[in-house]
Amino acid sequence: MFEAARTILRQLFLKPATNIFPAKYAPPSVLLLLERVARQEVKLHPPVTVPPGFRGKVAYDRENCTGCQQCYKVCPTQAIQWLPDEKKVKVFMSRCCFCAQCVDVCPVNTLAMTGEFLMAGYDKYAEDLVILDSGELPGSKKRKKPEAGAAGQTAEPA
Amino acid sequence: MSLKAFKRALWVYHLNTGSCNGCDIEILAVLTPRYDVERFGIMLVGSPRHADVLLGTGPVVKQMVPRVKRIYEQVPDPKVVMLVGNCGIEGGVFYESYSLAGPFDQVIPVDVYVPGCPPRPEAIIDGVVKAWAKLEKAEQGAR
Repeated sequence: MFEAARTILRQLFLKPATNIFPAKYAPPSVLLLLERVARQEVKLHPPVTVPPGFRGKVAYDRENCTGCQQCYKVCPTQAIQWLPDEKKVKVFMSRCCFCAQCVDVCPVNTLAMTGEFLMAGYDKYAEDLVILDSGELPGSKKRKKPEAGAAGQTAEPA
Repeated sequence: MSLKAFKRALWVYHLNTGSCNGCDIEILAVLTPRYDVERFGIMLVGSPRHADVLLGTGPVVKQMVPRVKRIYEQVPDPKVVMLVGNCGIEGGVFYESYSLAGPFDQVIPVDVYVPGCPPRPEAIIDGVVKAWAKLEKAEQGAR
């Protein structure tokens, strides 16, 4: 009999289910809000955390890439462009279908999926949507450096 | 033209031009209580003549080209065209298909791109914020 009353009371003290990304209500001026966020005066509410193994934006370790072209061949949407002069690749996020097949096939683990997914913009070939190099990745196998003159006496066994 | 009334409470017309429905489901997820863009006054409307924003999903199939153009012209000015998902942006998995008339921006001019396959609801909200910012900049320029 008091089931409904109990439910209503519980609902009163529960947090709302809505994730208020990026702010609770639309601000009077979006540009002003973005400016204030850039100056770190206000903080935006973060998005819902991504699950483990989430397939977001691709990260590419250009330095350790061996140029084997396997990612280029396996990509179902041809989002990966082969650069024959440099023997490296270029990943277009506006073509990618986020299947992570390139990540699985890479023998030296120079490709990875990050948790980043906020990629909206005014240009589909914007700089942050064409992945050229995202620095060294934690899992990538390092390339053996060519012998480097006098200072190159490394302790590592060949 | 004043954009004062247009800045807030964007009404959206959703146009599917051969999408796989993944992006359409994410657009509906944005409207659910979990993400709730109706708190910003954003609402889906049933007719392009009521809309401020044309929200496109899917690669444009050849049969849809005259319809896309007609719907684009039916949306009253000033308007924003927003693309959700990589199919509309670059063709995605349907690239170079025999039945496509190319990506969306070869048919009508596009303002905001939201990449993803499908994009997460927050990414779509991020696109909305970008559209707002663009409108506000346009208004400041018009002043």
